[in-house]
Amino acid sequence: MKMSERVSRLRNQSLNAVKKLSAERALLMTQFYRSNEASDLSAPVRRAKAFNYLLKYKQIFIGEGELIVGERGPAPGETPTYPEISLHSMTDLDILNSREKVSFRVDEVVREIYEKEVIPFWKGGSNRDRIMQLMTPEWMNAYNAGVFTEFQEQRAPGHTVLGYKMFSTGFVEIKEEIKKSVSSLNFDSDLHASEKLEELKAMDIACDAIIMYAHRYACKLERMAAAEKNISRKSELLKMAAVCRKVPAEAPETVHEMLQHYWFIHLGVITELNPWDSFNPGRLDQHLYPFYKKETEEETLSSDELYDLLGCFWVKFNNHPSPPKMGVTASESNTYTDFCLINLGGLKSDGTDAVNEMSYILLDVIKEMRILQPGSMVQISSKSPDSFIHKALDIIRTGFGQPSCFNTEALIQEMVRQGKSIVDARNGGASGCVETGAFGTEAYWLTGYFNLPKVLDLTLNNGIDKRTNRQVGPETGFAKNFKSFDDLMNAFRLQLNFLIDIKITGNNVIEKTFAEWLPVPFLSLLVEDCIAGGKDYNCGGARYNTSYIQGVGLGSITDMLTSIRYNIFDNKKFSWDEMNRALDADFAGYENIQHELIFNTPKFGNDDDYADQQAVAVFDIYYDAVNGRPVLRGGVHRINMLPTTCHVYFGTVLGATPDGRKAHKPLSEGISPSQGADKNGPTSVIKSASRIDQLRTGGTLLNQKFTPSFFEDEDSYACLTALIRSYFSLGGHHIQFNVVNAETLRDAQKHPELYNDLIVRVAGYSDYFNDLGEDLQNEIIDRTEHEAES
Amino acid sequence: MKGLIFSVKRYSIHDGPGIRVTFFMKGCPLNCIWCHNPEGISPLAETVSRINKVGEKEFSTPEVVGKLYSAEDILAILEKEIVFINQSKGGVTFSGGEPMLQHEFLLEALKGCKENGYHTAVDTSGYSSTDSFKSIIPFTDLFLFDIKHLDNARHIELTGVSNVGILDNYRLLLGSGKDLMIRIPVIPGYNDDADNMSGVRQLLLTSETGSLKKLNLIPFHKTGSAKYKKFNIPCRSGDIQPPSEQKMVELKKFFQDAGLKVKVGG
Repeated sequence: MKMSERVSRLRNQSLNAVKKLSAERALLMTQFYRSNEASDLSAPVRRAKAFNYLLKYKQIFIGEGELIVGERGPAPGETPTYPEISLHSMTDLDILNSREKVSFRVDEVVREIYEKEVIPFWKGGSNRDRIMQLMTPEWMNAYNAGVFTEFQEQRAPGHTVLGYKMFSTGFVEIKEEIKKSVSSLNFDSDLHASEKLEELKAMDIACDAIIMYAHRYACKLERMAAAEKNISRKSELLKMAAVCRKVPAEAPETVHEMLQHYWFIHLGVITELNPWDSFNPGRLDQHLYPFYKKETEEETLSSDELYDLLGCFWVKFNNHPSPPKMGVTASESNTYTDFCLINLGGLKSDGTDAVNEMSYILLDVIKEMRILQPGSMVQISSKSPDSFIHKALDIIRTGFGQPSCFNTEALIQEMVRQGKSIVDARNGGASGCVETGAFGTEAYWLTGYFNLPKVLDLTLNNGIDKRTNRQVGPETGFAKNFKSFDDLMNAFRLQLNFLIDIKITGNNVIEKTFAEWLPVPFLSLLVEDCIAGGKDYNCGGARYNTSYIQGVGLGSITDMLTSIRYNIFDNKKFSWDEMNRALDADFAGYENIQHELIFNTPKFGNDDDYADQQAVAVFDIYYDAVNGRPVLRGGVHRINMLPTTCHVYFGTVLGATPDGRKAHKPLSEGISPSQGADKNGPTSVIKSASRIDQLRTGGTLLNQKFTPSFFEDEDSYACLTALIRSYFSLGGHHIQFNVVNAETLRDAQKHPELYNDLIVRVAGYSDYFNDLGEDLQNEIIDRTEHEAES
Repeated sequence: MKGLIFSVKRYSIHDGPGIRVTFFMKGCPLNCIWCHNPEGISPLAETVSRINKVGEKEFSTPEVVGKLYSAEDILAILEKEIVFINQSKGGVTFSGGEPMLQHEFLLEALKGCKENGYHTAVDTSGYSSTDSFKSIIPFTDLFLFDIKHLDNARHIELTGVSNVGILDNYRLLLGSGKDLMIRIPVIPGYNDDADNMSGVRQLLLTSETGSLKKLNLIPFHKTGSAKYKKFNIPCRSGDIQPPSEQKMVELKKFFQDAGLKVKVGG
């Protein structure tokens, strides 16, 4: 495939778009909430009317040459804010404007709107303010110590993906469904009937709003067509107008209609609120295939037209930087990427191989477009042909970090274990970084990262956080009081359970604020069974409800525990006094001890039972603490193991550790070994990683670095394919490859201007190397160097 | 019986088909001036200092290069890798050094591997007695066989040994019905001249090529020089530059034109 001039121009525009903060949404939201229209309404109806207000007054943007229309902000790169969720202060705006990485330009107009309109209205009234007032001192202590983060403090729960249903229906039909649900309400026996009625009313308003929004585009396109001199563009504009007249009101019937249909839905979700992981078309090859097949048979779509449409569609995702968080650091999961993860391959709902012609076409598009967003992954099942994997490796070898590889059978087993039907499980996949989900039927919320090594640190210090000098965990004794390694592990379990209890208590309070104040009637239309049950997505309306707490630093904590077991208990190489003195001094003057800890101590990632046992022990303790704990909105808590970039932040709250890591350095990411700890190559890493029972999680992340030399010929492709299939046969959930060399990265650090397009795999997602903080850049260079040497 | 092994490499993908474990056996009768595994030359275990940097400080730890493994030890390691070996139709490779130098242990290890169903490969310089080769043939599926230089005088000069026996063994293996992959190290200025390469091509063509699977052209690379320092062996390959990519392309074509299946790189 060769990119057309049109797509190439739109792609460049997207790459060069200046990231700007837009005050449009914040201002419209403020106007709406201030108006009489907003008062005396139930929460869902108020939110539906706010949604309608936004879509009615939001600017319409149609770019030159575009085939798919609609923007999150007033123009590509312009990013709205969500003051009802969290309110940026004037200082936050200054920082966003001036910070070196992941910056957003904030102009005078925006500043003025914020100062005069937005801040005065929302101050103290954002959901973040509400949350922070409701949290207990114990929660605040643990949060401030860096034991866990809170996902819902600055973004709304989203974490869901569109399923099959919405590609075969339109909102006119959905309105009929709502009507049916209303007529089946039983006010005599159902105590919640009136609440349900309000929710269904809100959903109906949201349907009208999205249709109205599409029609605004149609009107503008018709006006532009009338004024257009160029004949071919004129006919394009007319066709686009007709598409916007039809979808999303009616079900799509062509590839063009299907893509535009999805895009309006996408815009609806990310305008309503700022849900995590943006929103996602999920199994795109499956959804597109019937439209593609029909049009190919009827000869209504040429290959050039198809690639043009797909290229235009791809650019759309990249036009939307993730809405910026407030606060000063860029270390806690801060990135322009908004975590859309296109799924390709996998299995069909009847269990047969789902890889089709469209899977290959979309891999071509991914290769050719080479842009940060959307992210992409291949679902590999035992039924996937090798050719599908080889095609993916062709892209991976270019060092672009996409697509990542997922184990379809593991995804399905994880979901079935959680109680999903086999069909719902097969129709699911992974989204965000690596999160397992039943697409179109599940609300699977991530609630925060959990710093496993920090819990060990508290365990060694009687529950006291050395950094803030506060009692964060229970008093379970100091390190030197533990008579055996088992004693230490028992204390660790007590600390962890205590802190998980705090986190889960917080989760339930926070989920309630969203249920009460911030229902999402539009998103609720898209996820089954919200309409049938008259229940909002944010109140447990989805068929399946799951909340996750994401464990971070498994490799690091395994090495720390292994080091304690090996050096202090089993071999008595040092006493606790010596170890503590070395740690307190951050190894200054104790380099000999640090040397022993780093170089002469068993480490996770080497297929060494001695070390891997600790990984299993920590995993089991963590699993037991979290898995199955009830979630307020129905459903239960589960665990997964992924860090995004949080392993960097979590490292900053920790001093030197018994694995020889210096203070404030990053922790290991996902279930990967600590940086540089694996010395036996990828098969040993895979063996260690598959020691933990990954099928009991909702996602794990394994990062494996390769230099391009591992991809040089057919034989090496066959070996990589076998490596992936082996890991998956051992129950591995996900593996991704970072293909780079350290020299290139170092040069990129020196001459960032020459490497604007350099994308590296960070942890579960890819990012522009230039947008990473220096610490993270260094970490990636170190990993790469290590790989090249071994 | 135990064998002295200086390195075990997992995810070895260039020493035979599929994903393999390669055991590098210590001791080599040759002394090639371009040797990139100098730690494999001495048949005895050696203690070197390993230098690790911690911050600005350097620590030197004694490290024994060469550890004893029994055939059972070898099988235990393969057992750990079995999922990869099965999935990729890989196996085990004995390399070196010169594995034939520990012929008795090699035979025992190969037997054990075959009994357990592994595909076996032996990576050899060909410098060993014909009887030794005859004894391992039944337990070896693939031979990776080096041809370094055809001119005997030059061969002696470059490797310290004669190539007469090597070429005899080459013919023996060719007729054995076992898979054979020829490896030619391409050392600029030493063996890459037209004369030698034409001679090698002629040899490969005139041989009964029934079991000749593939030809590997392995460009000289400089990775060995740091190791020389560590093992206190004078490095004689300091002035050799790796062959250009262009040169390798030309050589590849040169052999391909004769109908051989050629791969550049290990």
